[in-house]
Amino acid sequence: MSAAISIQGISKHYGEGSDAVLALDGIDLDIASGEFVSLLGPSGCGKSTLMLIIAGLLETSKGSVLFNQEKVETARTDIGIMFQDNTLVPWRTVRGNIELQLELRGLKIADYAQKIKDLLHSVKLDEFAKRYPFELSGGMQQRAAFCQALIHEPGTLLFDEPLGKLDAMTRESIRYDLQQLWLARKPTVVFVTHSIEEAVQLSTRVCVMTPRPGRIQHVIDIDLPWPRTIEVKASPQFSAYVHQIQDIFRGYGLM
Amino acid sequence: MKKIIKKIVYAWPFMAFFVSFFLFWQYSIDIFSIPAYILPKPTEIVTKGWADIPRLMNYTLVTGSETLIGYVLAVVIAVPMGLAISFSPMLRRTIYPFFVSLEMVPKIAFAPLFISWLGFGLLPKVIIVVMVCFFPVVLNAIHAFSSLSDELTRFCRSTGAGRVAVFWKVRFPAALPQCFVGFKYAAMNAVVGAAIAEFIGSDQGLGFYIQIVTGNMRPDLAFAGIFFLTVLGLALFGLVTLAERIFVPWHIATRRL
Repeated sequence: MSAAISIQGISKHYGEGSDAVLALDGIDLDIASGEFVSLLGPSGCGKSTLMLIIAGLLETSKGSVLFNQEKVETARTDIGIMFQDNTLVPWRTVRGNIELQLELRGLKIADYAQKIKDLLHSVKLDEFAKRYPFELSGGMQQRAAFCQALIHEPGTLLFDEPLGKLDAMTRESIRYDLQQLWLARKPTVVFVTHSIEEAVQLSTRVCVMTPRPGRIQHVIDIDLPWPRTIEVKASPQFSAYVHQIQDIFRGYGLM
Repeated sequence: MKKIIKKIVYAWPFMAFFVSFFLFWQYSIDIFSIPAYILPKPTEIVTKGWADIPRLMNYTLVTGSETLIGYVLAVVIAVPMGLAISFSPMLRRTIYPFFVSLEMVPKIAFAPLFISWLGFGLLPKVIIVVMVCFFPVVLNAIHAFSSLSDELTRFCRSTGAGRVAVFWKVRFPAALPQCFVGFKYAAMNAVVGAAIAEFIGSDQGLGFYIQIVTGNMRPDLAFAGIFFLTVLGLALFGLVTLAERIFVPWHIATRRL
């Protein structure tokens, strides 16, 4: 079930007193079920912090997050989550890593055998199911990590700059794979990135965050056709969105 | 076959050095007229040592058992303790600093005390070996179990899995490589602990042997004893390294070396 997420008045500071760092300053955002929302902002703006708060993995200092009207108190388990440093464990094969997600959730692996096959196929890792992470390139590892995050068919996905460490070509390729996976099932996605182009390509809406302390001052609806192929990316409308956001960043003194 | 030839070819400088070292030793004795009761010839060590093989083998077994029992005991006590300390904030504030300071105390210095308390038998030697092996194992275990990455911790929390499942499926395998660092360090020092404890008070074992034959002006037999001590140390270290290759084949250090 793709969740509708409501973020209400979230503020977060790290530390106490005069040494405290205000990471987030009053975030309000409503995300509809099935939306692909990007949190776009410069380094240190608090986007990862916000994502962790949404996931229930970090306590907020003020405000609350609602998942389908239910307040987030502890770590949400009805999500799939992926980080820049992937959560593949080195002692298991690619398949073993995907199965780890199922095992930890108490799900029967046999029920998911076909799903695992299909997922590996969709990210073009069919022949690498029995390989260990150290035998894979960075891009392949992130693809495997995608499968690990998606195998239990979560209704909501949270990504924290999953493509941050990859080269440009691999990023393009995985972005395409990710978009296909999203279009097929339409989970609710919160995607943290610092790449304007990536945000515009993948999202239904882009939330532009200010430098620290992070606030969402601009929310831009991206009205472009799906799937967002190379032709769409080359279109003037795409460039217009990118320029619009670049202007916002220039306004923050960033570009 | 090719691999073996390759290894021999690669090792030849070391082997050449090794052989030259012993040749130099052998012939210096005559060239410099070194008396046999100071420094024996390598050939003497081999022949005289071989003559005393039954005793040497028996004593090797004695020292070997002290070492092995002490080592296993140390691991069995230290690993759970390391686990407890890494998971209990209270223990971390009380026992952990205590262990870190105790690490600096030379455990061998306790040997005369233990022997005066517990006699010449197996027990005091085993206790010394346990003390020598305990600290590297527990300190590395604490480090090992406390080092799970933030990402993996968060990933596990988001699955809703229970603590036991997370421990066996993630924390424990993740901690093994670092635990083996402790195991190997302890293995390097275990035999030394046993031997020195035997120097101080024993009626059998290789440490005892070396002491007796040195007192009898038989350095050739002393070297034979040292040789067997070395073999013991290598054997224990080799066993632990083998275990590492079996249990942690995926770790980068095991793959590289």
